[in-house]
Amino acid sequence: MDSNKKYWKGLEELNNEPEFVEKNKHEFAEPIPIEEVLSGGGLMGKTPRRDFLKALGFGVGAVTLAACQKVPVHKSIPYLIKPEEVTPGVANYYVSTYDGHAILVKTREGRPIKIEGNPNDVLAKGGLSAQAQASVLDLYDYNRLNNPMLDGGDSSWNEIDTFVKRELGAIKTGGKKIRLVTSTINSPSTLAVIADFIAQYPNTKHITYDAVSYTGIIQANQNSFGKAVIPHYNFDKADVIVSFGADFLGTWISPSEFMGQWVKNRGSKSLAGKKMSRHIQFETGMSLTGSNADTRILIKPSEEGLALVNLYNALSGTTLPGSKPMGNSSADKAVKLVAAELKAAQGKALVVCGSNDVAKQILVNAINAQLGSYGTTIDLDNYSNQYKGNDAEFTDFVGEMNRGEVDAVFFLNSNPVYEYHNGQAIKDALKKVRLKVTFADRKDETSVICNIVAPNHYYLESWGDGNAVEGYYTVIQPTINPVYDTRQAEQSLMVWSDSTVKDYYTYVRNTWDKELLAKGGLSGQKGWETLLQTGFIKVADKPAGSYSFAKDLNGVAQTILNQGTTLEAKGDKQYEVQLYQSIALRDGKRANNPWLQELPDPVSKVTWDNFAAMSPTDMKKAGYVQGDVINIEVKNPNNNASYSIALPILVQPGQAQGTISIALGYGRTEAGPVGQGVGKNVYPFLNFVNGTFQTATVAAISTTGDNVILAQTQTHHSIEGRNVIRETTFKEYVKDPSSNSGGSLKHKEYEDLWDDYDHPQYNWVMAIDLNACTGCGACVVACSAENNVPVVGRDEVRRRREMHWIRIDRYYSFNEDGKSITEEKEIEDLKDLDNVAVVYQPMLCQHCDHAPCETVCPVLATVHSSEGINHMAYNRCVGTRYCANNCPYKVRRFNWFNYWNDSRFDNYLINEHTHLVLNPDVTTRFRGVMEKCSMCIQRIQAGKLKAKIEKRPLKDGDIKMACQQTCPTNAIVFGNASDPNSEVSQLLKSERTYYVLEELGVKPGIGYQVKVRNTAETLA
Amino acid sequence: MRSISLILKQFSRSVLLVAGFTILGLSAYAQGDAAKGKTIFEAKCTACHKVDQRLIGPALGPQLDKETDEKFLVKWIQNNTALIAAKDPKALAIYNEYNQSNMTVFPDLTDADVTNILTYVRTEWKTMQEDAKKAPAGGAVETDKGPSNIMIFGLIGVILVAFIVIMVLNKVVKTLERLIANKPDLLVEPVPVEEVQVDKYAGIKKLAKNKKFVFFVLLCVSIAGGGWTWMTMWNTDVHQGYQPVQPIKFPHDLHAGAMKINCQYCHTGAYKSKNASIPSLNVCMNCHKVITGLKGSNAPSAEIHKIYDALGYDPQTQKYDSTKMRPVQWVRIHNLPDFAYFNHSQHVKVQGLKCQTCHGPVETMKEVYQYSPLTMKWCIQCHKRTEVNTKGNAYYEKMEAVHEMIRKGEKVTEAMMGGIECGKCHY
Repeated sequence: MDSNKKYWKGLEELNNEPEFVEKNKHEFAEPIPIEEVLSGGGLMGKTPRRDFLKALGFGVGAVTLAACQKVPVHKSIPYLIKPEEVTPGVANYYVSTYDGHAILVKTREGRPIKIEGNPNDVLAKGGLSAQAQASVLDLYDYNRLNNPMLDGGDSSWNEIDTFVKRELGAIKTGGKKIRLVTSTINSPSTLAVIADFIAQYPNTKHITYDAVSYTGIIQANQNSFGKAVIPHYNFDKADVIVSFGADFLGTWISPSEFMGQWVKNRGSKSLAGKKMSRHIQFETGMSLTGSNADTRILIKPSEEGLALVNLYNALSGTTLPGSKPMGNSSADKAVKLVAAELKAAQGKALVVCGSNDVAKQILVNAINAQLGSYGTTIDLDNYSNQYKGNDAEFTDFVGEMNRGEVDAVFFLNSNPVYEYHNGQAIKDALKKVRLKVTFADRKDETSVICNIVAPNHYYLESWGDGNAVEGYYTVIQPTINPVYDTRQAEQSLMVWSDSTVKDYYTYVRNTWDKELLAKGGLSGQKGWETLLQTGFIKVADKPAGSYSFAKDLNGVAQTILNQGTTLEAKGDKQYEVQLYQSIALRDGKRANNPWLQELPDPVSKVTWDNFAAMSPTDMKKAGYVQGDVINIEVKNPNNNASYSIALPILVQPGQAQGTISIALGYGRTEAGPVGQGVGKNVYPFLNFVNGTFQTATVAAISTTGDNVILAQTQTHHSIEGRNVIRETTFKEYVKDPSSNSGGSLKHKEYEDLWDDYDHPQYNWVMAIDLNACTGCGACVVACSAENNVPVVGRDEVRRRREMHWIRIDRYYSFNEDGKSITEEKEIEDLKDLDNVAVVYQPMLCQHCDHAPCETVCPVLATVHSSEGINHMAYNRCVGTRYCANNCPYKVRRFNWFNYWNDSRFDNYLINEHTHLVLNPDVTTRFRGVMEKCSMCIQRIQAGKLKAKIEKRPLKDGDIKMACQQTCPTNAIVFGNASDPNSEVSQLLKSERTYYVLEELGVKPGIGYQVKVRNTAETLA
Repeated sequence: MRSISLILKQFSRSVLLVAGFTILGLSAYAQGDAAKGKTIFEAKCTACHKVDQRLIGPALGPQLDKETDEKFLVKWIQNNTALIAAKDPKALAIYNEYNQSNMTVFPDLTDADVTNILTYVRTEWKTMQEDAKKAPAGGAVETDKGPSNIMIFGLIGVILVAFIVIMVLNKVVKTLERLIANKPDLLVEPVPVEEVQVDKYAGIKKLAKNKKFVFFVLLCVSIAGGGWTWMTMWNTDVHQGYQPVQPIKFPHDLHAGAMKINCQYCHTGAYKSKNASIPSLNVCMNCHKVITGLKGSNAPSAEIHKIYDALGYDPQTQKYDSTKMRPVQWVRIHNLPDFAYFNHSQHVKVQGLKCQTCHGPVETMKEVYQYSPLTMKWCIQCHKRTEVNTKGNAYYEKMEAVHEMIRKGEKVTEAMMGGIECGKCHY
C-alpha cells in the first residue's frame, strides 16, 4: 500500500504463523459450534422433535406465566433530611489530592464515582494516570477491613486505644525503641502529627521506606550539592533528553507530570513551529519511555555504569580510571554520538538515570553539571517531595528488631513483608517486637502478622494535605462518609499521643490557618473555603540556582565499574535480570484493583500476569517458545539465600540479549480475591548494594517443561497488513509537513455509494495525535470508569473477549539505519528484532459517516445520528454480531456473559459495594448485545442540556470525553467539526492529519496525526 | 360524609362560641372586642403561637390562665426586649424558659389592641376547654363519629332490606312448592319437552354442517382472539393507570389542588436534574410543623403523624430523635426502564412543559396513578408533534439559522433536531 514500512503487532503476525492466520480469519476467534449441532446427532435424530415440543410447551408456559406478573413494585426512598448541596441526579465535584496531584472527585448522591484531573493542577495540568483513575474503585473494595482488630479478632476503637496507650506507656518507661515505618509522606499535617507523637514518646523514630526507592538520587544530591532531595526535573526545557533506564513517562518519580513536559516540545504546537526535542533512551527491557524514544539503544544492566562513565569521559574530555570500551559496539558508538548531541545542546540538555545506585547518580550529577542543566532543566531549589525513602535506615531497623531493641512498631501505608527483599526476615524479626500496629485499610501481608490493626480511612474519606513539590500545597477533603468503622491513622496517632487537638480535621485546619494559607495569600474561614474550591495553593517558584560539581569522581567510577562486573552473567544459563514497575500495578499496592489488572501492559499487552521478557534471539538460542515456564533463581548476595520463581516467557522484541525483565508488584499473597496469586513476587530479587536497594541482579534459569498462554491482547485484532499507521521523521516533516500523511501520496477518490448525512449543527469528531500518545493506558481506565465497561478476567481475555471500548494498539517496525523494509524476506534475520521501533495508536469506534456496521444490522440497532455519531441501541440489539464482522477497525465488543450478574465474574465488579462505582447515566449492558465507544454520548447530552438551561450557545471545550480529559499529553481532542474555529477543526486541518483506512470510503470521524520521529540517521 | 361532619362540627362550634360569649359577659377580666382581637391575632401572632398548643412560643391559653397581670402582658407584647433589658423578673423567667430567644416586638399595637387580643385568646381558650369537657357526653362525640354512624346505619339498612327480600322470596318458593304438592299431575310433562330438545340439537347440527357458517364463526373467533392477543402483547409492561397503595396517603388534590402549592415546591429536582425527586421529609416539615391535622382539629392526623414517626419527631416537645428515624418507602409509579434516559429539567426548564402534560391532572388525584402509558411510541409522538420552545434561548440561535435555510419557517419539532434518534435516549 502507500506506506513502505511494515508494521506488526506481534511475532506471530510478523511470521504469519498458521494458527494466527486461522484465528484472524474471523472477528471472533472461537466460532459457535453450529456445524457440530447440525451435522452430529443434531436435527436428524428422533429425540429433537420431542425436545422441540417440550421446549415449545415450556417456553409458552413460561412466557404466559411471566406475562401474568403484576407490576413489579419498585421502592423509591427519598432522603429523610436532604443535604443542601445534594440534588439527586446531579453530580457534585470536590477538589482533593491524589499522589500530590490536585484532582476533582465526581460524586453522585454522595458516592464518589469518578476521579478527574483538576485542570489547574500545577504538575499534570489535569492529566491523570491509570492508577489515579482506578483509585476510586478501591474505595468500594469489599476486601477492606471493616473494623479495628486486636490479635486477629474483631475489636472496638475503645479497646484498641486502651490497649495501645497502656502498652506505649509501659514501653516509654521501659526505654526501648518505638519505630514508625511509613512510605513517603509529604503531607505537612501528617508530618506534624508524627512530630507530636515523637515529642510524646521520645524514643520514637520515623523511618521512611519506599517499595521502589529513590534513595540513590537523594543521597547523590546530598553528596554532590549538600541537598538530600530529589530535584524537580523540567523535561519541557530540554532539547536533548538522554535517559539511562529511567522510565520517566511510565513510572519514574512523577510520570503524569513528565509526560506533559515531554510532549510540550513534541506535540502539534511545537511541530507547527518546526521544533522537536530529541529523546534518546539507553535501556534493557522495552519500557514505555523507551518505546516512545526517538532512538533506543540496548544495554545490559551491567553495562549501564560503563556507558555513563564513557559518556562522562566523552563530555569532559578526561578519562576516569578503569574506563574501557564496552563490549557492546553499537552502544559504544551511540555514547560518543550522544555526547556530541548533548554538548551541542549545552544548557538545554538533560540526562536522567533510573538506577537507585548512589555512585551512578553522582556521576549523572557530574554529567548534568557539565551540561549546565542545573538551573534550567534540573531545579534543586523547588525540589520534589514525592519520594523520601531511606533504604539504609530501613535495613538498620530490621537489625534493631532482630537484636530485640524495638518494643513497638507502627506501619503506615507500608507493607514490608511483601515489599522488602527478605520478607521472611521481617516476619521473623517482628516476632521479637512487643507491639505491632498497622494502619492498613485492607488486609495485606504485614497486617496479618500485626497484633493491632487500626484501619485507616481511604483517601476519599479523609481530611489531609499534600506537598508533592516544594511550594505546591494541595488539600484532601472527604467525599463520602467512612464506609466502614475505620479511623484516620493521624487521628489514631493523635489519640495515642494525648494530643490537645481532638480531631484531625481541626488539626489540618490549624496547620493551614497557621502556616499554609498565608503562603497563598489567603486567610481565615474565607481563605479555607476558597482553598476547598481551588484545591491548592502555589507559592511562586524560587529562582532555580545553578550548581557546580566539584567532587572527585575516581572513587565513584571505581564503584560503578566494580558493580558492573558483579552483575555480569557468567555461563550459558545465566541472565542479567532487570526489575521494573509495570504501568498498571506499579509497586503492587493496588493489586486488588480489577481495572488495573485488566489494563494491558503498554508494550507487551499482557493482562493479569507478570512474565519474564526475553529477547527473541536468546529464546531461539535456548529453544524456548512464548509461554514456556522457566525457573528463575537468584542468590541474594546479602545473605546467600536463594529464591526462585517460575514465570512464563514473553517474547519481547527490543529486549537486550542476555537479559530478562520482570515486573514488580505481582504475586501478592494477601491482597484480596482479585490480586491474590496473580503473577509472582520478584521483590526478593532486589539487591541491597552500597546502601540502596537496586533493581538489577543475576539469575540462573532452568526449564520446567510447562507452557501457559499469557492473556495478551496484542494480536487480537489483526489489521491484515493494511496501512493504518503512518509515521515520518522530523527531517522529512520539516521538508514537507504533509510527509506520509496522504498529502503527498494521495490516493484516488472513490465514488460514494451512500448519500452524505446532514449535520445541521454538530458534527462530533476527534483528533488523535500519534506523536503525543505515549500509550500509557490512562484513557482505557478512564473509559471503563465512565462507561461501566465490565472486567472479564484472565480466561476471557485469552479468548479475545476483553471489553475495553478504547484500546491502544502497539505496532512494532524495524529500524534499519534509516532504510525502510519493503519485503518480508529482508527481515528474516532475527538480529533485527533487537532493534525495533514502536508506535502507539489509540483505537476506538471511528464513528464513520458511512459506517459499514450500520448497513448490515438487521434490526437497525446501530444507526447514524444527525450529529455524526454512530449510535448503538443496546435494547434493540439481538446479537447477530454482523456489525463486528463488518467493522474494519475491530472496535465492536460483544457481551458473551451478563458480566454484571454472573457468579463466574464474582471477583471483579459484581458485589453490592463495587456496584456503587457505576455511572448512573450509562446503562450496564446485558448478555448477548454488542457495545462500543459511544463518544461519551452522556457527556455530549449533558453538555448540550447545560447550555440550553443557561440559555447560551455551546462553547468549544464545554464537552470533554473521558479519555481526552485524563490524557496527560492532550493527545486526544474532541469537538465539533462544523465549527471551523473549534480546536479539533484546527487540528484536523494540520498537514499531518490522516484517516485510518480512508481508502475504504467509510469516512471515519476520527483523524489521526502522523507520528514524527526525530531520528538522527547516523545514530539509529 | 366528611363534609357533613364538617358542617355539623362548625355548627356546634358556632353554637358553643355564642354560649362562650354569654359566659364571657360575666368574666372578671378587662374587656375588649374578641372579634377585633381575632383579626389581629390571626395577622400577627399565629406565626409563632397557638391558643392550645406550644408552637415556637408558648401555648397562649394556659399561659394567660397563669398570668393575670394585664399591664405586664401589654408591655410584654408591645416590647418584650425592653422588659428583658430592664431585668423584669417575670420577663426574664419567660425569656430563660424559651432558650433566650426574643419574641418579635410590636410597638405598633395600642394598649386596646393588645387587650382585644387577650380577650380573644381567653375566649377561645375557654371555648376549647368547654368543648373538651363536653366531649365525653355532648354533641362533640356525635359530630366526630358522624360519618361512621351513617355508614353503620346504611349497612344496617342494606342488611334489613336484604333480609326482607330473602323472606319474601322464601315465602314465594314455599307457596310454589305447596302448589306443586297439591297438583301432582303438573309434574308429568317431560315427554314433549324431550322432543323439543331433539329439535333444538338438530338445528345446531344443521348449522355445524354449514361450512360457510363455520368458517364465518372461526374467522370471527380468530380475529377477536388475534386482536385481543395483539393488544395484550402491545400492552405488556405498560402500566397506565397503575395506582399502588402508598405508605402515606398523600392527597395531591389537597396540596396541589385546593392549596395550590406549586409542584416544584416539593419536587425541586424537576428544574435542575433528571430526577424530579420525591421531597425529603424536611420539606414536609416546613408546613407540617405547624399544620398538624385538619383545620380546627387538635389531634394530629394519622397520616401526618407518619411523617413525625419517620423523622422521630415528637410534636409535644418539638424534638427530633435521630435513633428513631426511618425512611418512608414510597412505591414508585412512573418507572421508565433502565435503558431509557429521561431528564426532567430538559422538559420542564428548557421546553417549559407543564407537569400535567405527562403526569395528568395530579391536582385532582386523591392518590396518584400513572396517567400516561410511558411507551416509546408516546414519547416519539410528542417529539414529532410538539413545537420546540426556542424563544429567548440563545442556545437555539445558531441552530435556527441553519434550519431556516432548510425549512423556510415551518414549526421546529424535536424530531427535526434529532430528537427521535436512538442514542438521544438510549445510552
